[in-house]
Amino acid sequence: MKVLMFGWEFPPHIAGGLGTACYGLTQGLAKNQVDVTFVMPKASGEEDQRKIKIVNASDVEWNTYYAQQVQESKELSFIEVNSQLIPYVGLDDYFNVINQIESGLFEKQIPGEKRKYLFSGTYGQNLMEEVAHYAIVAAQIATNEQFDLIHAHDWLTFRAGIAAKKISGKPLVIHVHATEYDRSGERNRNEMVYQMEKEGMEAADAICAVSDLTRNIIIEKYGISPEKVFTLHNAVQQNKKEIVREKNLKGKIVTFLGRVTFQKGPEYFVETAKKVMEYDPEVRFVLAGDGDMMTRIILRVAELGIADRFHFTGFLSGADIDTLFGMSDVYVMPSISEPFGISPLEAMRAHVPVVISKQSGVSEILKYAIKVDFWDIDATADAIYGILHYPALAKIFAEKGKEEVNNLKWEYVAKKLKQIYEKVLENQQFPKS
Amino acid sequence: MRKVCFHFQITQPYRLRTYRFFDIDKNHNYFDDFQNSYLANRLAERCYLPVTQMFIDLLEKYDNFFLSFSITGDSIRLFQDYCPAVIENLKKMVATGKVEIVGNTFSHSIASLYGKKSFLEQIKEQEKLLKEVFDVKPTSFCNTELIYSDEIGEWLYEAGYNVVLTEGAKHILGWKSPSYLYCNPFQTELKLLLRNYSLCDDITLRFEDKGWDKYPLTVDKYLSFLKAIPEDAAYINLFMDIETIGEYHPKESGVFDFFYHLVVEIAERENLSFILPSEVASVKEDLSTMHSPWPISGSSDEKDVNEWLGNELQQEAFQQLFILEDLYTESQNNNAKTNWLRLQAADHFAFMSTKWFPELSVKRNFDVYPSPYQAFINYMNVLNDVKLQLELNDKHLTKVSKQVKNK
Repeated sequence: MKVLMFGWEFPPHIAGGLGTACYGLTQGLAKNQVDVTFVMPKASGEEDQRKIKIVNASDVEWNTYYAQQVQESKELSFIEVNSQLIPYVGLDDYFNVINQIESGLFEKQIPGEKRKYLFSGTYGQNLMEEVAHYAIVAAQIATNEQFDLIHAHDWLTFRAGIAAKKISGKPLVIHVHATEYDRSGERNRNEMVYQMEKEGMEAADAICAVSDLTRNIIIEKYGISPEKVFTLHNAVQQNKKEIVREKNLKGKIVTFLGRVTFQKGPEYFVETAKKVMEYDPEVRFVLAGDGDMMTRIILRVAELGIADRFHFTGFLSGADIDTLFGMSDVYVMPSISEPFGISPLEAMRAHVPVVISKQSGVSEILKYAIKVDFWDIDATADAIYGILHYPALAKIFAEKGKEEVNNLKWEYVAKKLKQIYEKVLENQQFPKS
Repeated sequence: MRKVCFHFQITQPYRLRTYRFFDIDKNHNYFDDFQNSYLANRLAERCYLPVTQMFIDLLEKYDNFFLSFSITGDSIRLFQDYCPAVIENLKKMVATGKVEIVGNTFSHSIASLYGKKSFLEQIKEQEKLLKEVFDVKPTSFCNTELIYSDEIGEWLYEAGYNVVLTEGAKHILGWKSPSYLYCNPFQTELKLLLRNYSLCDDITLRFEDKGWDKYPLTVDKYLSFLKAIPEDAAYINLFMDIETIGEYHPKESGVFDFFYHLVVEIAERENLSFILPSEVASVKEDLSTMHSPWPISGSSDEKDVNEWLGNELQQEAFQQLFILEDLYTESQNNNAKTNWLRLQAADHFAFMSTKWFPELSVKRNFDVYPSPYQAFINYMNVLNDVKLQLELNDKHLTKVSKQVKNK
């Protein structure tokens, strides 16, 4: 079985969980004898290509014929966006990003009708335009490559998936890692992104949702027929080397790790910290990450007068994350809405007990975790206090939690995914109606 | 002649409220009054009142109908607090002279798994209460969840009991039948009545099970099960939670009619009769021994004590609880002392169980905790406060009461 997969990012250069998930999934598919050709807007050449083939969309020469094809078809009419939209960052960050984007994008004119398009592959200000061009290039790739079906990850690649389906006639599976409802909430949703998500869901032959939570959103908020929506929980990569548990600070450490945005609930982490510190002056809280709510959070910490035991690390990656987990006694994820949430699994992998919000997809699959409502500061504080003060609890989580996470393998996820592929192919061969 | 020994257990605990760590050393009200009142009344309405009424009617109608029951001290206090009519009905039953109250622990305690001292304290408290409320002194004993071992048996004999009701656990009995009378190997004067759990589960677990090949269970069918037991095996011991009638199986299932007619049939048949546990104390013939070096119980299929002490959380809570044994003895804070007894209830430990994880078992019917971990944290918070309360000495106590008065 051959799959043409469209993604937006892939390790080692990633901005969030999407790239990590794509990596794990493609490795798992390889183990299940599924060949994957992974297309991304801008590959660095450093990607791991041992098990899958990477296609760099920026290298693909495309025929203007496809641009016309794609543009002429009704379903795929372009929305010209003179967009100032940056869906993955909040307003405060917006101006920073504008200054940061160095190259932006430009078109290379090539003699004749052939063209190349250089993508930035980020989530910058030309995102909408890139998304649109990605679809054109996808159509070209779909004629170049041999495959049985198409798999597209998140709204950024849905148009590419639809275009590839249009050109090849092969079935389309889309993968929803997050919806506009998780990113922006009901009221602030970006209409254009919502429309593109809905379009992708409607055009798809099957939809993979990363949790039941996301599956329900797809069915209820996007009006998609439940029969074609499947829950496919994420897994976590096994860590190559054991994380060293080592502390350079006295006292217990409670950790938050993630983007400091509304969706992740950092405010609740601060309020919880205050509550616990009042009764246990020995404990320290660490907030690792950056985002548009940072200033507000710092101000609140100062206001509560807990800055001496509440620490900010800024954005962390790689080895720094391992060091932090190695120091942590509790990991807290108070997300307001989390389609999946892979970070608790990474914490558990490092023997750290976790307290997670019930409003997260990952809570659907974990047994060895304390689950609380994100808004329930008392319950969260109580759970943290319990883990810090009643050793039996920390022990059971450290041991059994690690065991539990070790059994969440991408290989098994991919096996389930392969079954979905098979079902889709079967349905295409023998349509129901 | 086969003898049917009916025994019903009433064991409602005082349920804990959500007690946070910041309540420790500040608030000493640990119990969820609303829930305790709600459950006591719900159960009374669905089960305790109609069931006791049914038994009263049957006792009046049939001179040869006898039954026994046990009720924990906590349950007595709960009903006194929230639903006194239940106690009145039980008193009426006892007044017929054909109902035996069997001894048990004060708070559905698992103290017998820790040691003699706390276990005997529980028994003493319970005897005091039974004397006060029903004016009886039991001579038969049914421990919490039928927990029993050779050693527990010896302690009980020492405490003045000569009959113990426990589980007919297969891994202990082997090829032997629970339908004979047994005795403790070290204290042969202590007689053992063993529960026929298969016959009990037919009602408790399978009465409404449509997938069961014997469904629906009728009185005739049930009597045919009784008849299948060999003629010389005289004792058919049916011990069950009283909640079986009306709560586990609602009235609409026909469970009341089933029990009513079962009693009628047994009472009217010549080859069947009812007995009370205390009657077997006077049996003179030589009995075979039942040797139980480790504790057994009536819990699920394993008949062991893993439901309460199966994981690290339960063991930790158990150790932390009973480490306060001496503190309890010395303490003069009576309120805290009662609360310490109440924290020994098996129910609290069952809520921390990960045995059937994540599926809920029958036993966790009234579980209010989102997970075993939260059950553990809540329990430990309460325990820590109870400990502080037990530690208060005389001076402090007077201080506290003065402060209260000043307020």
